[in-house]
Amino acid sequence: MAVTGKTEKLSDERLVELALDGDEDAYGALVRRYQRRLTAFLGQLVGDIELARELSQEAFIRAWSALERFDPRYRFSTWLFRIAHNLGIDHLRRRRLQTVGLYRTDSDGDEVEVVVAALDKDPLGHLENRALAEELHQVIDNLRPEYRELVLLRHFGGLSYQEIAEFKEMPLGTVKNKLFRAHSVLRKALAVFV
Amino acid sequence: MIAEEAHVASECQTIQEALSEYRGEVVRLGATERQHVDACPGCSEVAAAEMALGLIFREAVAPADPSVVAGVMAALRPVRIRRRVVAFVPVAASLLLAVVGAVLVGGVPGSGVVSLLPGWSTQGWSAVLGGVSDWYSATSTVAAAATAAIDPAFLAAAGMIGLIGLAVVVATARRWRKISPWRKSD
Repeated sequence: MAVTGKTEKLSDERLVELALDGDEDAYGALVRRYQRRLTAFLGQLVGDIELARELSQEAFIRAWSALERFDPRYRFSTWLFRIAHNLGIDHLRRRRLQTVGLYRTDSDGDEVEVVVAALDKDPLGHLENRALAEELHQVIDNLRPEYRELVLLRHFGGLSYQEIAEFKEMPLGTVKNKLFRAHSVLRKALAVFV
Repeated sequence: MIAEEAHVASECQTIQEALSEYRGEVVRLGATERQHVDACPGCSEVAAAEMALGLIFREAVAPADPSVVAGVMAALRPVRIRRRVVAFVPVAASLLLAVVGAVLVGGVPGSGVVSLLPGWSTQGWSAVLGGVSDWYSATSTVAAAATAAIDPAFLAAAGMIGLIGLAVVVATARRWRKISPWRKSD
């Protein structure tokens, strides 16, 4: 697999065209372009960086298999992230189904389910500042779901506002507004670090 | 006075939304907006905080993992071969159906036609043409006999099978069509 600077500079659209002609190196350039961001996004989505690597690998292979069915009206990035997002959500659903419920009796004598946290591998484990990593993890977890997803797409997936609007099928103005509100929450919560 | 304050608040909101989008990079704003940021303590504070937030998230993205790229690249070729085989199955099946349909309607070609195919000589070609002519006569005779002997509904069904097979071939071929033209990114 020869990595050529020329291939790396080509647009997504051109690389997909070349990949459709059977050029595996062109697809390799797309994989290198998106692998880091896709894995980071999935890491936050599923809460396990090892699993995120497996899922991102699977997402790239699925995208390659379905490349002929790719609708060129959309961007490759949003299509790829949608595949990855669906994989992540499917995984979370399966994991929920496989969860074994443990029960305990609360102070009122009622039986309540105890959810045992999985021993996931920390997707922020590479951060040297552990206090920041823990705070960031906490803040992202506590965001409203509609904000959380946009923050993950923006800051871990590295998508532009326009790409997020396309991904979420949401007006651009709504994306801007929601991300602004999400940022207000983040700025306050991380005030010590910013 | 209240209207003026509301206007300033609205301007701040618009500029702060833009600062969120640009990760606090004031230089990406227009000249008027930049002047506003310089003069407005609230917006300046947001610009600095957004820049710091951007740096935090930049660090939060784990480094690239070459093993993922290697794993994907190793899987591409087998996936491609499997995909081609899978794509070929309906074509092969439909061609088979079309042949079966044609045979049912038109009859089996004589073995003489096949045996005379090789050869580029004039004799060879005239033999092939003769064979085709013989085959046409034979199929016409068989078709006439079949029409008399076989239920017309059965013949119609065979014809339908042939047509469906052909339709599947066309549909599959359309799936292989190249994607074009690309939408220009805006």
